[in-house]
Amino acid sequence: MATVTSLLLFVLCASFGLSFSDSGQENSFESVPDLEKSMYMHVDGYPCVRVLNLSGEIGCSNPSREKVVAPIVRYKSADELLKSAAVLVSIDEFEILLSRLSKDLDFAGKVAGILVESRTEVSNGLKGFSPDGKFPQAEFAPYQSNNFTWNPPGSGIMWKAYNFPVFLLSRTSTLILQEVVMKNEKTKKSNTENVAEFNVVMQTTKSGTHDSDSCLKEETCLPLGGYSVWSALPPINISSSQKSKPVIVTMTSMDSASFFRDKSLGADSPISGLITLLAAVDALSYLDGLDELNKQLVFVVLTGESWGYLGTRRFVLEADQHSDSVRGLDFAMIETVMEIGSVGKGLSNGVKTFYSHTSGDTLATNETFQALLRAQDSLKTESIKISMASTSNPGVPPSSLMTFLRKKSQISGVVLEDFDTSFTNKFYHSHLDDLSNVNSSAIVTAASLVARTLYLLANDQNASAINAINVNASLVEELLGCLLNCKPGSSCELMKHYISPSATCPSHYVGVILGEPSSVPYPAYVSDVSRFVWNFLASKTSIFSRNITSACPNDCNGVGELCIREEADGKGICVISTTRYVPAYSTRLKYESGSWTVLPYNSSEEMSAADPVWTESNWDTISLRVYKVQNTAYDGLILLSGIVVTVLTYLLILITRAFIRKALKWD
Amino acid sequence: MTVAAGIGYTLLALGPSLSLFIAVIAKKPFLILTLLSSTLVWLISLIVLSGLWRAFLPFKTGSLWPCTLIILTSVAFQEALRPLFWKIYKLEDILDAFADRVSKPRLFITDKMQIALAGGMGHGVAHAVFFCLSLLTPAFGPGTYYVEKCSQMSFFLVSAVIALAFVTIHTLSMVIAFNGYAEGNKVDQYFVPAVHLIAAMLTLVNLAQGGCIIGIPLLYIMALLTMGHCGKMVWRRLTEIRSRQGSSF
Repeated sequence: MATVTSLLLFVLCASFGLSFSDSGQENSFESVPDLEKSMYMHVDGYPCVRVLNLSGEIGCSNPSREKVVAPIVRYKSADELLKSAAVLVSIDEFEILLSRLSKDLDFAGKVAGILVESRTEVSNGLKGFSPDGKFPQAEFAPYQSNNFTWNPPGSGIMWKAYNFPVFLLSRTSTLILQEVVMKNEKTKKSNTENVAEFNVVMQTTKSGTHDSDSCLKEETCLPLGGYSVWSALPPINISSSQKSKPVIVTMTSMDSASFFRDKSLGADSPISGLITLLAAVDALSYLDGLDELNKQLVFVVLTGESWGYLGTRRFVLEADQHSDSVRGLDFAMIETVMEIGSVGKGLSNGVKTFYSHTSGDTLATNETFQALLRAQDSLKTESIKISMASTSNPGVPPSSLMTFLRKKSQISGVVLEDFDTSFTNKFYHSHLDDLSNVNSSAIVTAASLVARTLYLLANDQNASAINAINVNASLVEELLGCLLNCKPGSSCELMKHYISPSATCPSHYVGVILGEPSSVPYPAYVSDVSRFVWNFLASKTSIFSRNITSACPNDCNGVGELCIREEADGKGICVISTTRYVPAYSTRLKYESGSWTVLPYNSSEEMSAADPVWTESNWDTISLRVYKVQNTAYDGLILLSGIVVTVLTYLLILITRAFIRKALKWD
Repeated sequence: MTVAAGIGYTLLALGPSLSLFIAVIAKKPFLILTLLSSTLVWLISLIVLSGLWRAFLPFKTGSLWPCTLIILTSVAFQEALRPLFWKIYKLEDILDAFADRVSKPRLFITDKMQIALAGGMGHGVAHAVFFCLSLLTPAFGPGTYYVEKCSQMSFFLVSAVIALAFVTIHTLSMVIAFNGYAEGNKVDQYFVPAVHLIAAMLTLVNLAQGGCIIGIPLLYIMALLTMGHCGKMVWRRLTEIRSRQGSSF
């Protein structure tokens, strides 16, 4: 190998110097594969993929089974495209470009693919970007006003179908591609141009299945879904002879969506709510005398909520069917539901502002509001303002509670949000709803409020131990770093304490359901965040069953016993806790002998008419490459010159030979 | 760049060798053997050199002094091998003796030149395969590669063109050299190493920014020079023989 290396160095020296010894760039190759690697530059990006529903498809894909190759051009709104091109566009002009595509068909025919730049630090002037609609998931609302604008920046672009690939570039790739475009513009007349090669070939495009029903039959797609988690504090004793207590349910969701599948952070909506719930559970877990509370606290973390409230609907269905996953939770005993929505932006002018959106029985909701106010008062050192939401709102904002109420309209509910009449989150369901979009002190305050409110509600407004409930601010900071940042990301200390994560950079896209949905799923089929939430809640709500902590899963089969932290240490800890997974997938789907079928429309299930039954196409690989090509005329010219040189030499040799023969015979 | 361009580059570098092979060498099995053995000898010389230079790895490719040193030592080594190669091919005496035994005509001057030509072509083909063909595999794919210091032509085109020049130089040098050793002509004997060295050094011009525009034409001037000198030498020998034949009547 070393001999080959030195031989190759020989080659490079003797035929052509390849090092950029003057410029800073070190570009030496040690082998032909190195040369090939530098010819074809792999670009980091987040793709937009094909998602299907019962009536068609949304999202992006290559138009056929071939890779899409097109020269890269910058988008300028006044320009006409002369030939097929891959358009590089900034996030500010992305929506404008997409709307132009739907109007100008000639232009649309020439766009082979789109590359979206990631936002640089400088361009903070972006007013708002939300690819979701102006009233997200309006069809699931329990009230009629479907044109109320909860999300003003909403453009609805993520719900349309595009017949070309779209990639969001990472920060470094953005800089690389900007340079490439500049080079392309400089050398407009020469024989070469830099092209982008998109490989976003979706299996549903290849097999011609363009809706959920046909693609599930052909097994070219999988349904969207995941695993919700619910936990009871303190653990519910099922075999107990005591009368079951009334239940207070606190819920939130853990999934978000965006135009680009792998960059769905959802920092404000809904992860700020998730962090609030986890911190509140942590604060309450240190309280003494939880058993003596008059009401049972139950915490539910749902997933799939961005795609037709899969979590809520399946949760309610499983409760109706009295299935294993909700054993111990009696829906008839639910007194009130508190949902924690987006709370990360509840900081304005130094005052932490939250709004309580209510629905249902006014007596019960009033009680909850009073508890919130008392909790606010007890937090004397902070400036907090809690108000009821405006009465001009048609009802609760888009939330899991919306769906919950449609199924169980007799239950009263409250959604705690950081906005009143429209979202304060300007980047709802977009890749820009990241860590910089939330404020940790707002989350800490929200968690304190929620924890103290729950205590007051569970303790019949008796505030004896309220000042013992304190939220750990460093836990909130840690959770923000783990769930919303690539560093430390999922390999942060906190998450590694409970699970062994499969990826570092977090993404809160719900993903697809793998394998058969069950209340005890195979851990590899459950997402990192779901597993973390399960282990965290189980650990916080647990009571140790025996004096010695024994290793499980071997010896942990008692009633109510769970094995937690099994992945992290290799051996888990056996505890008593009521923490369960509940599968979250469309109520119109059924898993039977290895494949999914769409159940016929059942008019008795109220929301199945609105359920689109989202599925995601399968694919082989998704990649994006950039390289330089020569035009075909030039290639032809080279082939021609090679042939000409060969033929000319042959003729020359024949002439020389004839000449020599003649010269020798000349006597 | 595609298959068309890849084939084009291959033909540019090795097309003339192919033509020469078909026109002259393929007809006589002995010449084919000569070709193959000289290719092998040249490759072995490269391996020995790389083994020697292995000790000095790694160093920055493209930096002037190490490259100059490598080129100097390699050319010196290969030129030293050339007389050895000729001594081995003094087996043309053996061939002559064999011809006498079977009462067939002895090797004519053109036969000896053809052997030299085959030997030279062996060197040239080995050079082209090693320094150009081995790098051409990526050229058959869709992309191309341009080096910053030579932005007018693609890297593959430059390799092919330089390889063609060297094939010409090597092929014709051997004819000149063998004739020089046979006649004892010092001019011819020193011409060949000088041309080889100058041509090799000219490739260093490519290290400079835009150097390939100057370096490659200069290299072709050397190739034409070699061709001219070879032609002159062949013509001289042939006229000598003709006049000798003429005077013998």
